Amino acid sequence: MSTNRIATMDHKPLLIVREKVGGTPMVAVDAVGCKPGDWVLCVGSSAARDATGTKAYPSDLTIVGIIDKWEG
Amino acid sequence: MEIHQVTHQLILTSRLDDLGHLPVKVLKSVSGGTSAALDPIGCKVGEWVFTIANSAARTASGDDRYLTDLTISGIIDNWPQDVDKD
Repeated sequence: MSTNRIATMDHKPLLIVREKVGGTPMVAVDAVGCKPGDWVLCVGSSAARDATGTKAYPSDLTIVGIIDKWEG
Repeated sequence: MEIHQVTHQLILTSRLDDLGHLPVKVLKSVSGGTSAALDPIGCKVGEWVFTIANSAARTASGDDRYLTDLTISGIIDNWPQDVDKD
């Protein structure tokens, strides 16, 4: 996804997420381990940093859960 | 983290010391908006990158003293993805 990234991001998985089908793609840190096609819940701003599992990690969007049922 | 394409570099001869000496790049985001971000990586014009905003932007720039709210944090390997052809 992005081999050339800032060192402080180390090796956390980065995934493309969209709010709705065809929506604007954004990059999120995957703290849960989801697969393409999953509908997930993301958290932003300062909470996104600690949600990655590393204190003060440089992220402003982190996936925190997979939604069981959601019609996109 | 938003995805952008680098359009050009911003030259700011007089700037606050706490802005540091990292280059500032002008970016066009996938959703069409324009923004300026600190660039600790040194990416080139035309490259697709993603940025980090809010308080994490300062950590991402490598030094919490830097007065930034948007920092380029990585160059995306293959973008736009083939699935994105509309």
